[in-house]
Amino acid sequence: MSEADLFTRLTSVHRPDCEIFAEGPLPQPAPDPDTMAQTLGNEEAARYAEACRVPFEDLRRVIGQIAGLMILAQLSRKADIADLTELTVCRDRWQTCAAHLDTLRPPAPLAPHRDQLAAAHAFSGKALRSFDALRPQADNTPVFDDIARLVRRAYAHLSAATSPKAGLEMADLTHACCSCGR
Amino acid sequence: MADYSIWVCEYSYVPNYHKSGVLYGAHNQGYVKLPYCYVVIKGKDHVAMVDVGYNDKEYGKTLGDRFGVENWRDPKTVLAEVGVTPEEVDTVFVTHAHFDHFGNVEDFPNAKFYIQEREISKWVWAMSLPDRMRWMMTAVDPGDIVRGVELARDKRLETVNGALTDVLPGIDLHPAEDSHTWGSMWVTVRNDGKEQSQDTWVLAGDLIYVFENIKGPGAAVDLDEIYTPVGLATGSQTNLVLATEEMMKQVDYDSHRIIPVHEERIRDTFPSRISKEGLRITEVCLADGDISKVAA
Repeated sequence: MSEADLFTRLTSVHRPDCEIFAEGPLPQPAPDPDTMAQTLGNEEAARYAEACRVPFEDLRRVIGQIAGLMILAQLSRKADIADLTELTVCRDRWQTCAAHLDTLRPPAPLAPHRDQLAAAHAFSGKALRSFDALRPQADNTPVFDDIARLVRRAYAHLSAATSPKAGLEMADLTHACCSCGR
Repeated sequence: MADYSIWVCEYSYVPNYHKSGVLYGAHNQGYVKLPYCYVVIKGKDHVAMVDVGYNDKEYGKTLGDRFGVENWRDPKTVLAEVGVTPEEVDTVFVTHAHFDHFGNVEDFPNAKFYIQEREISKWVWAMSLPDRMRWMMTAVDPGDIVRGVELARDKRLETVNGALTDVLPGIDLHPAEDSHTWGSMWVTVRNDGKEQSQDTWVLAGDLIYVFENIKGPGAAVDLDEIYTPVGLATGSQTNLVLATEEMMKQVDYDSHRIIPVHEERIRDTFPSRISKEGLRITEVCLADGDISKVAA
């Protein structure tokens, strides 16, 4: 897939006026699945792709948890969601992910891919820190707006780093309703 | 008197899906066609849906390449077959959070979505577990939950705790905890509007995939038929069987009134036609005064 195709993909998923792009640069084009698959013949690239799986899974979970916790906090109007074990676990995983990202050594063509993972990590970290601003019996709408914006941005960066052929996928379909088991 | 028309609309399908996925214990029994469908309920000045399918922009290539999902069509195309636009849909009941049911909320800009709170809270819990328990996260895309954030901000997401009666007039939600998923639910339409309805339809989500889940082979226990649950259960097959009994009670044990959306053979039990895109439209019932969308 060419860069132009990737641009089309990104712009078809997100409208040009999407507020997700309001802060900072666009999620940068990363090597797409086909390109990445081609480079997997390179031993260094293959090692990098393998090493990506752990932080990618970390981020997939962190982002999913932040989103789910925000929905529960907003709809239940409970600020004490910040005290839940799940949020603590999420923060721990985010910290662990930082260490995993530090160990990534991409070959030069794949450096933009690592940058997308790093951006997903940075924005999910900002979203996590925003949970501290939730206050009991207060109008937390601005905080929820912040978390929503940040988690969508993190997801956009992680989406830009997906690569099915490298096993970097958003949904694990191995046992899914759609899986034919082949 | 019927308040609502109900159609099962196919939006994609898997030509060869292993039978053991839809029927517990059916190992080495070959493959079945697995249609992907959502349900349209129209009447009482509402257009509601049960589930919204998935967005091909996100998953099409992966599904097409790896799992043989074919012929995906967008909701605008599919719903046109029953004279409805996505913009007209005002209510969506999400039976569970698997991507093929909750994966296309953005195509329904005016709808309010209902989902069991447990379905979200337990997925959040599952995502907090160690990697060795990753199986519990199967088939859920965090992106769908992220899109749920947007719905919540727009006040278009309603989490439900347990059963809910008359969410629309004559339409009820029923939880099936720890069954196919943590917080699955089914939708009951009392189509005569009465509390003790004589015209009840159950829209089963993935709690029932195929007819055999209700009328499975019972020879091993000297019965003609027994409930045989769905193969895939994040919760338990026991809870699937218990949910089946509750659904059957609601329809006075007339299994014809339980609608399994992944069942290809409902084309043989309800009036159906194939659209020019090669997808099936099945007409479960018609509201008073409504016109058939499947008649020649």
